[in-house]
Amino acid sequence: MSGAGLEKPQLITHVQQSLSYTVFDCKWVPCSARLLCLGSVPRGTGIIQLYELQSGRLSLLREIEKAKPIKCGTFGATSLQQRYLATGDFGGNLNIWNLDAPEIPVYSVKGHKEIINSIDGVGGLGIGEGAPEIVTGSRDGTVKVWDPRQKDTPVANMEPVQGESKRDCWTVAFGNAYNQEERVVCAGYDNGDVKLFDLKNMSLRWETNIKNGVCSVEFDRKDINMNKLVATSLEGKFHVFDMRTQHPTKGFASISEKAHKSTMWQVRHLPQNRDIFMTSGGAGSLHLWKYEYPAQRSKKDSEGVEMGVAGSVSLLQNVTLSTQPISSLDWSPDKRGLCVCSAFDQTVRVLIVTKLSKI
Amino acid sequence: GRRARHMPAICRGLAQLRAPSPLEQSPGRSARSSRPWAAAERSPPCASPSRAQTLQSLAAPRGRPGLRRPRQPKQEAEEAGCGPAAAATSKRLDSCCRGSHAPPSVMSAEQEKDPIALKRSRGGDSGLDGLGGPGVQLGSPDKKKRKSNTQVNVPPFLFEAILYAPIDDISSTAKIRNETIFFTLYKKEVGMWESLIMENGDKEKMQRIRENAVIKAQEKADEEEKSKAVTKREHKKYALEATMKLEETERKRIENLKEEERKKVTEELEIWKEKQRNEEKQRRIQKEEKIHRERKLIEEKKKQEINKTKTLNAGTSKTRSIPTRAGSSGNIFSEKLKEESFPAPRSTSTIKISFTSRVFPTALRESRVAEEEEWLHKQAEARRAMNANFSELKDLNDEEKNPDWLKDKGNKMFATGNYLAAVNAYNLAILLNNKIPVLYLNRAACHLKLRNLHKTIEDSSKALELLIPPVPDNADARVKAYVRRGTAFCQLELYAEGLQDYEAALKIDPTNKTLEQDAEKIQHIINGTAQDS
Repeated sequence: MSGAGLEKPQLITHVQQSLSYTVFDCKWVPCSARLLCLGSVPRGTGIIQLYELQSGRLSLLREIEKAKPIKCGTFGATSLQQRYLATGDFGGNLNIWNLDAPEIPVYSVKGHKEIINSIDGVGGLGIGEGAPEIVTGSRDGTVKVWDPRQKDTPVANMEPVQGESKRDCWTVAFGNAYNQEERVVCAGYDNGDVKLFDLKNMSLRWETNIKNGVCSVEFDRKDINMNKLVATSLEGKFHVFDMRTQHPTKGFASISEKAHKSTMWQVRHLPQNRDIFMTSGGAGSLHLWKYEYPAQRSKKDSEGVEMGVAGSVSLLQNVTLSTQPISSLDWSPDKRGLCVCSAFDQTVRVLIVTKLSKI
Repeated sequence: GRRARHMPAICRGLAQLRAPSPLEQSPGRSARSSRPWAAAERSPPCASPSRAQTLQSLAAPRGRPGLRRPRQPKQEAEEAGCGPAAAATSKRLDSCCRGSHAPPSVMSAEQEKDPIALKRSRGGDSGLDGLGGPGVQLGSPDKKKRKSNTQVNVPPFLFEAILYAPIDDISSTAKIRNETIFFTLYKKEVGMWESLIMENGDKEKMQRIRENAVIKAQEKADEEEKSKAVTKREHKKYALEATMKLEETERKRIENLKEEERKKVTEELEIWKEKQRNEEKQRRIQKEEKIHRERKLIEEKKKQEINKTKTLNAGTSKTRSIPTRAGSSGNIFSEKLKEESFPAPRSTSTIKISFTSRVFPTALRESRVAEEEEWLHKQAEARRAMNANFSELKDLNDEEKNPDWLKDKGNKMFATGNYLAAVNAYNLAILLNNKIPVLYLNRAACHLKLRNLHKTIEDSSKALELLIPPVPDNADARVKAYVRRGTAFCQLELYAEGLQDYEAALKIDPTNKTLEQDAEKIQHIINGTAQDS
């Protein structure tokens, strides 16, 4: 590695912690140097562990065991003071926990008939406008939006038509929450469907199919007019959609890129720079990408209707950390470049990505 | 006497041009020393106690192939030149030279020939003419001097002489030049030699000496090789270690850089955490202060109220209604306000979605695309195949040449119960196009009705053959085929085969109740017969 090579951002493993259970999700606790690991203990129960990053080590602060294994969690819909964790578990239950008093959930509902694969929250943490809401996507093919103030029933339900064979929903994400009314939910399914639901109009705004099962979708920012959407899929492909211009028939412009040579499990945008995102792969590798906008983001097609122009994506750095898939990834919103990832080899790693300010 | 106990030195093959040792040269030899290449001027060894001697021998005997410099005429001249002066030398040299013309052969045998060869060689022929057999090659100098007596005919040996006393074979050399070989031999022990060459001892002794010399030569060669290999290996090892060191330093450098980054970030993190903690503390302090202030205010108010009530004589004091919670009495927490300004929860509604309908009903990851493609392809092929035997069918009109039309006709006749006619229709259709599985399927049904059970089985089997690859598209057809064949088997009382077919059908369509019941019935019959027999 020459001196010139060191100008690229480096992904350095800061701390590595071996766990005694399968970890499905890891999240930073906002405004702190603490992180959560959610997973499934071998005896079939769920576990939440709270760690603190102290002088180069992770020290376990608290461990909470629950009845069902926990698949996913989010802090997206709570306020900064309360910092309640919303989790989805293998039994289809959505629970919101107060980590200081975790015996009884603050909110609990059996939302789905099958495992909740993915969860997202918006309206909390000072990000986004409007009511705090949580969306869950499940193997039963439905996507439901919940408001913690309304018990038992979701405020929005996206389900297949009667008699339609259902496809697993693998991932959900909020976006476009730039004012109190607007909100959009994007869901990815295992047959490659990507659907965009408009919650203001309660309608399906756009859908497309990317041929391979969609493992992860994320908007680059939840709280702005929707700008970019990244969807990763099986067989190592991801698509970046430019969401600023929607063409009535062609939908959104996109580019796709192949990497990892295996399933791309997660995509996460850097909170401090919405054009940088990291993808994690089934071979235990992480790729750091940068999106560059085209000279003109929209152009007119042959009939004079506006359509979007997709830009380009370049790989900044990649590193292989493990032999098992890295199933979950989270950037710290407080410190630029600090991120945590967890893999199926039962380890959680805290990484430092350097030189991000210079990009 | 003779120093017979020492291994006599032998010089082999090659002469050198090296000047003899500077030590102890007789004055008479000066000429020699300055002109070591001069032919035949070397005086016999007995003439001086010099340490060095240069022997000449002819490099290439006449007419020997494989030798580098076979030059006959020169040889003659040299011989002539060396004749008078070195006669004694050559005589002595000859005394143990094997001048045999025979090809290189067993050493001992040559020894026998020694006198003859000597005679021959003395007889005008070059004293060293007999040197080497055909194909003698010049060996390399410095390696062939061994302390023994051997024959010279065996290549690569060129010349052999058992010297009087041992010589230092490391520093002695032999050089070839211009068809002469110069030997420079250093005596091991200073002293006069009675003769250059050891007198002919008994044959066995000579033999032994020779063999020992050979063995010694071998050993020396081996040792040299070994030491060479060892040094080579050591060099390689050294090189490897050097490269490893270089790489190690490079890696360390990179590691150090990374470590520095990590340390930097850790420090920054700690600082940031400190800041957070301080901020927390501040906020808490502020909170407490505010609460304190609030309480004070409330107490004051209370006092005022009490005074008021005292004056007013009111029963209940309003104080109880004043909440002590800090939150409501003033907007300390701006966040709280914000919370209350959230819009109401959405009104519940549902969006119905449908999933992408695909050409094939399975998603890519479960896709049986290849098979389904194959099936479609086959169907297309079947449609196109027209194995019509036109001569026979000239009397059919166009309609009747269409297998589909015929199939429909057949179906209609089956429905009315005219099974024979249906069979005819299907037969014709198959004649026209024998790749359509449904024709066989329907014909099987007809035969079943007509109780042509073997034909049923045949046709069902043919249909099943045409229905590969198994895809959801042709599931129904396959079920029908299995059922019809199964029925035929059962009616032929081949219940085991029948059951097999029913089970296959059930596998494709597990939800069909009639199939299940029929399969059970057959099972019972089989069990029943087993019991009976």
